[in-house]
Amino acid sequence: MTRHRLTGAALAAALLAGPAAAQVTVLGWPGGPEETALRAVAEMYNAREDVADEDKVELLFTSRDGFFDKLQVDLAAGSTAFDANLIATYSIGRYAPFMEPITLSDEAQDVFGETVLSTMQFDGEQYGVPTDLSLHFLYYRGDLIEALLADEAAAELYGDISEEFLGERLAPKSPEEWTWDDFAANALYFSQSVNPDSPTRYGTVIQMKNLLFNMMVFHSWPRSYGADWMDAEGALTMDSAAWREALETAKLLYDAGATPPDSTSYEYAEANTAFSSGQVAAMVQWNAAATELTGAQPETVAIAPPAGPEGRFTHIHGLGLGLNAAAENKDGARAFLEWLSTEEAALAYARSGGAPGLAGDTAQALADERPDLVQVGDYASNYGFVMNGATSESALSVYEAQAQEFTGYWAGTQDLDTAIANVTASMDELLN
Amino acid sequence: MPRHTRRETAVLAAPLVLFLLAILGFPVILSVVYGLSETTFQTLRSPSFTGLDNFSRVIADDRFWQAAWFSLRFGVITAVLQCALGLFLAVYLAPLIARHGWTVAVLIMPMVVAPAMMGLMYRLSLHEFAGPIPHYMWQWFGWSPAFLNARNVFATVVVAETLQWTPFAFLLLLAAYQTLPRDVAEAARVDGTRPWRLFWKIELPLLMPTLWIALFIRFIDGFRVFDNIYTLVGSGPGGITTSMSIYIYEAFLRQGDIGRALAAAILLFGAAFTLLSLAQRLGRRRRAA
Repeated sequence: MTRHRLTGAALAAALLAGPAAAQVTVLGWPGGPEETALRAVAEMYNAREDVADEDKVELLFTSRDGFFDKLQVDLAAGSTAFDANLIATYSIGRYAPFMEPITLSDEAQDVFGETVLSTMQFDGEQYGVPTDLSLHFLYYRGDLIEALLADEAAAELYGDISEEFLGERLAPKSPEEWTWDDFAANALYFSQSVNPDSPTRYGTVIQMKNLLFNMMVFHSWPRSYGADWMDAEGALTMDSAAWREALETAKLLYDAGATPPDSTSYEYAEANTAFSSGQVAAMVQWNAAATELTGAQPETVAIAPPAGPEGRFTHIHGLGLGLNAAAENKDGARAFLEWLSTEEAALAYARSGGAPGLAGDTAQALADERPDLVQVGDYASNYGFVMNGATSESALSVYEAQAQEFTGYWAGTQDLDTAIANVTASMDELLN
Repeated sequence: MPRHTRRETAVLAAPLVLFLLAILGFPVILSVVYGLSETTFQTLRSPSFTGLDNFSRVIADDRFWQAAWFSLRFGVITAVLQCALGLFLAVYLAPLIARHGWTVAVLIMPMVVAPAMMGLMYRLSLHEFAGPIPHYMWQWFGWSPAFLNARNVFATVVVAETLQWTPFAFLLLLAAYQTLPRDVAEAARVDGTRPWRLFWKIELPLLMPTLWIALFIRFIDGFRVFDNIYTLVGSGPGGITTSMSIYIYEAFLRQGDIGRALAAAILLFGAAFTLLSLAQRLGRRRRAA
């Protein structure tokens, strides 16, 4: 009887006991190369002799669906379920009140470079270690462009089409020299609705779903005409020739059938599927799609997005890890985050499949194993931009408002003046 | 009612009432407090009282009315289509079902699928380059409609909802149809009544109470639609597929405007409660007459 009681008490104690004494719990980005890479560096960190048992890293992953919404609720509620958590450039301002700034290693500046470090800063403070960098590539079918450049009759037709739709006679060029006008002309030429003999059904695919991430993809376009959210004094600059030019040209392509008619419901996956089918000639897409797109269409080439009058630009944002203000093991979390910003950790993360934005010698050290990271680091340093206000507390809501209004304009449910006026009103409320 | 019986009723109902107050009372009070305050995720614990400001913002918001109109249209159209189709299937297939009861299990299968999964399924099957429907249309006709563009998306989500939830109306109406008194129909047949007239004059009036209930339930479900539309097309270009539930979800989680989201939810609750009370009073008056 006594033995049974003791067993029962032991069982009850085991069931009622909380989790084992706190280690450093890190909430990561689940289900992709980011998870694989984070697992690898966590294992490496835990194997270090100078890391005490109570400071070893334990990883926590939830679903990607609604991740940032759930994280927001957890942080606002002061959750102690994790000590360090994922952050993204566009959500730092929203999470900053529930997080604490961190100190990076002395090597961080050389490893990542200033542009990449700035993707994890808010109000002049460093809130995270950059782990993965996202930016845009122009993907195009090299075989189609090669054939176009070699065909004089095709070049004549190309000129006719660009003159008719864009009001300017353009000649085919190598995509390295493209402006956005060339991108549009190419999209029209390779669309069967405009050129019935086109080898592809559509010249491009633009992700036009009412979704904030699609606005990020679009921003590289107006930025090359000089667009920004606000000027240096904080005045909104949405009603500008730069925004109008890019918005109008995108609508022109949609109306002309140069992008699939269902594009207004397309996001990342749908757009990639369209390109992978071989029925699209060129598209602007996240760097993360490189393997998928080149795998599906071997002739695919990835380069920097087209240029505009103000230069060549690509939206950049980073994923990173920061410190939860309610963390129970802050010192342990700080130590892990500091180590994560060293060259040793960054190289291990990259070798395990992650996509950190690396600079200088660190990127070159990976040139043979991960040439794509050299390209990413190069584009981030030379063409990367973050809109003025895009790390603020309301940044996500601003992207949402733009997605709502601009997709309405593209789909024909409202005119451009109304869309711009509505966006300006929403942004005024959100940012001022 | 004698006094002691009333006391017993109160004692017996007390646990249920207390349970409901505990489960629903706190969220309701919190919703009202937040609805009357300027609240974001940053100020969850210190909301500042702003009176009816959130309510006036909601009422002045064109998107709220756009969402209300979408939900109303969607709720009415899908409820009518589902009940009409459900009634047709229940009556038309009744002889077959009487002999092969297992066919019911096959017919109600769409209802078993989670609505969010249904939305994802349509997202895949209607995609121009991955979906079987556009694929075969291109192959056979050299053309396929854009199921999800601004012009067609409403019809597409209506069809998707109707295909999934017609089995619910069918099941309710089949159960009602199977319990209709057979002797009345037999007598009418003996008198030479034609099948259509038998249905129209005898069976349909007897099915009307169930039909109203089916319409009512399907309307409520359609009005508060969220999952399948959200996973299929989100809130749509320019917000054209924003239902009331999507409006509240986006205001709450995506825009962090908790006060406005809860004010909209309270307004929706108030409108539904008023409508329900009116319908109940109307029903009572008709029964009394």
